[in-house]
Amino acid sequence: METKNDIMACRINGVIDINTSPELKKKFEKVVKEKVPKVLINLERVEYVDSSGLATMVEILKKMRAYGGKLKLSNLSGKVKGLFEITKLDKLFDISDSESQALGSF
Amino acid sequence: MENSKQEAREVIVAVEDLVRKFGDRVVLNGITMKIYKGETFVIMGGSGCGKSTLLRHIIGNLKPTSGRVSLLGTDITKLDGAELDGVRKKIGMSFQSSALFDSMTVGENVSLPLREHTKLGKSVIDIMVKMKLELVGLRGFEDLYPSEISGGMKKRVGIARAIAMDPQVVFYDEPTAGLDPIMSSVIDKLILDLSKKLQIASVVVTHDMKSVMNIADRIAMLYEGKVLQIGTPDEIRKSPNGIVQQFIQGSFDGPIRFFQEKDDYLEQLTK
Repeated sequence: METKNDIMACRINGVIDINTSPELKKKFEKVVKEKVPKVLINLERVEYVDSSGLATMVEILKKMRAYGGKLKLSNLSGKVKGLFEITKLDKLFDISDSESQALGSF
Repeated sequence: MENSKQEAREVIVAVEDLVRKFGDRVVLNGITMKIYKGETFVIMGGSGCGKSTLLRHIIGNLKPTSGRVSLLGTDITKLDGAELDGVRKKIGMSFQSSALFDSMTVGENVSLPLREHTKLGKSVIDIMVKMKLELVGLRGFEDLYPSEISGGMKKRVGIARAIAMDPQVVFYDEPTAGLDPIMSSVIDKLILDLSKKLQIASVVVTHDMKSVMNIADRIAMLYEGKVLQIGTPDEIRKSPNGIVQQFIQGSFDGPIRFFQEKDDYLEQLTK
């Protein structure tokens, strides 16, 4: 995680599944508590997200929106993008193709 | 060409020379088949042909007399208890009767495997349940009880529960039994959609011919505990096998005999 111009940008590696999504939830509890206004999650190195991972991201989005925070996702692989589309979460999240595009759109 | 393509695909279920006897009666007699990732594989046959018994062996509910069943790369024929449960957590099962708990809401029924097998928090599980219900077209129904919804909806809730844990394969036992033709088509489409979208294998046990031809990538035709033929719907339709033809056409006349000869009857009555 790094913060530049009040935007917190983070990169996630590996898989977000039943085993790892509680850790993601825990990390973002701090973000929500501190009411970080702008967050970008780069998912370039995420190979797979299961439904617990998707649900965790939905929860983070909901909590951030509650205090007026903005969450954006970028660099989704074809497989991960497909999962967002199947579950119609692509309509809920602000998804950009690249990190620079996402950063410029806050 | 087709064969070489299939060899490269991930094998989800491998059954090798499976034999099961109940006493002297041979119910499964040397079954061999492979089911691949992402395909819809239908096990078809008349009542008593052994198809449900085969399914129960594939999911580890029954042990074979001889032969081997490999599920997601693990030989389950020798597994028991926690080891078997570990493999079975990765599969989904949709039962003929839907098998919902009447005392639980739709949402609680779907969340049951997540509450039992994971340490996920309630808020995440609640969102997952709603996502699964969305996939089966029942978002917003989570607070209703099974007694408050139709038979077709119950089937869909059962399917939502079967996919709760993101399985790599879902087994459906007679998914369209007892449903009207329209609801049967809805369930067929749902099975197809889930297979294609989630890239999971679907293994369907049924004797509903219309459903078979709608959903199958490949069909295994079982008769008297043996595999008569495995092929695409087109190959099965064109099968030269008289028993296969009699079954798909639903004919009374053919190699499958429903009544014994009079001589047998007299002999059996007086034996």
